Amino acid sequence: MDNRSDDNLLTSLHEAFNSRETVPDEVLFAALREAIAAREDVPPDFVAAAKNSYAWHNIDAELAQLAYDSGQEPVAGLRSESASIRALSFVSACLSIEVEITGDTLLGQIIPAQPGTVEMHTLDGDTVAAPVDEAGCFAVEPKPVSPFRLRCHIATQPDVLTGWVTLLTRLHNPPRS
Amino acid sequence: MRDDPSVVALVARAAGSDEGAWHEIVERYAPLVWSICARYQLSGADIEDVRQTVWLGLVEQLGNLREPAALPGWLATTTARECLRVLRASRKCEPFGGDPDDSAATAAVDPAMIEEEILLAERNAKLRAALADLPENDRRLIALLLSDPPLPYAQISGILGVSQGSIGPMRGRCLARLRRSPHLRGLTDADFTPGRVTTPGGKPRG
Repeated sequence: MDNRSDDNLLTSLHEAFNSRETVPDEVLFAALREAIAAREDVPPDFVAAAKNSYAWHNIDAELAQLAYDSGQEPVAGLRSESASIRALSFVSACLSIEVEITGDTLLGQIIPAQPGTVEMHTLDGDTVAAPVDEAGCFAVEPKPVSPFRLRCHIATQPDVLTGWVTLLTRLHNPPRS
Repeated sequence: MRDDPSVVALVARAAGSDEGAWHEIVERYAPLVWSICARYQLSGADIEDVRQTVWLGLVEQLGNLREPAALPGWLATTTARECLRVLRASRKCEPFGGDPDDSAATAAVDPAMIEEEILLAERNAKLRAALADLPENDRRLIALLLSDPPLPYAQISGILGVSQGSIGPMRGRCLARLRRSPHLRGLTDADFTPGRVTTPGGKPRG
């Protein structure tokens, strides 16, 4: 057998017995132990909550992006879930939604002004609906404690859905006005 | 390994309306998201914040992922970025603005850490998948062999009701089946080389 066929033989041997065949038992066991531990480290409610996020898949509505957040520096792109909101502005292709927290009430306005309804969906699965008046104004009370998003129904166009908003009261207590 | 066709298929199914595929994605990658949160040593409430943003963000991005195979990268990068964001937010709210030298407040996402977390999470997911495909007897034996502290063969033979002498050959056959698992195709020696960098908080040192 010449050197070349030796090389070929080695190559094919190497391919046939790639590392999963040759890695020593003890190394394989250590890796298995790590793999199992990595899964067991994750709390069940972390996994369950992540699975539940799928409820928000394929929502038939246009998404409104966060354009302004008074609690933060100017925001680039989609970044709704942030610090203490006092005033937020969401913009979709056809309208914008201004939201602010006053005391225990979430106040908002749809621009351009038009009547309809607004639904506040919380991550806990609650939905609160409120009317939107001719001036585009609405009020939702009490203000949500869990992350929430707003869905606006107006007659003339598809529903508009905002990103998720978290009121981080544990960090900030916005001054009551 | 990074172009795992099963990930592409899972993303495509979840982007349709297959909730089972979404659950599989979560089962597979929750340890990756969790492990990165642990690196940044986030508090419970901060972890919850990151968890919400990452998974809700992914639900909304499912149909837009240009390369579904890049899902683990998307998850890892988004998680690390969100970890830094909540750290920054909580620093900002500390009285006197927190520690100005705190590198977590200004750190960028460390690509080497991300890469390492992804490789490890992918390897672990493949091993768990291979294990789950084994016959139940094999899984029981492996669980016993993995006991910490290790169980003597005498005790394992008692539990399984087989002779002590047959444990060795059983173990050999069981590991051979595991090694042949299609889930482990493509794993390389590097995947089994220990040496995780354990820089806490992903903070650049030095």
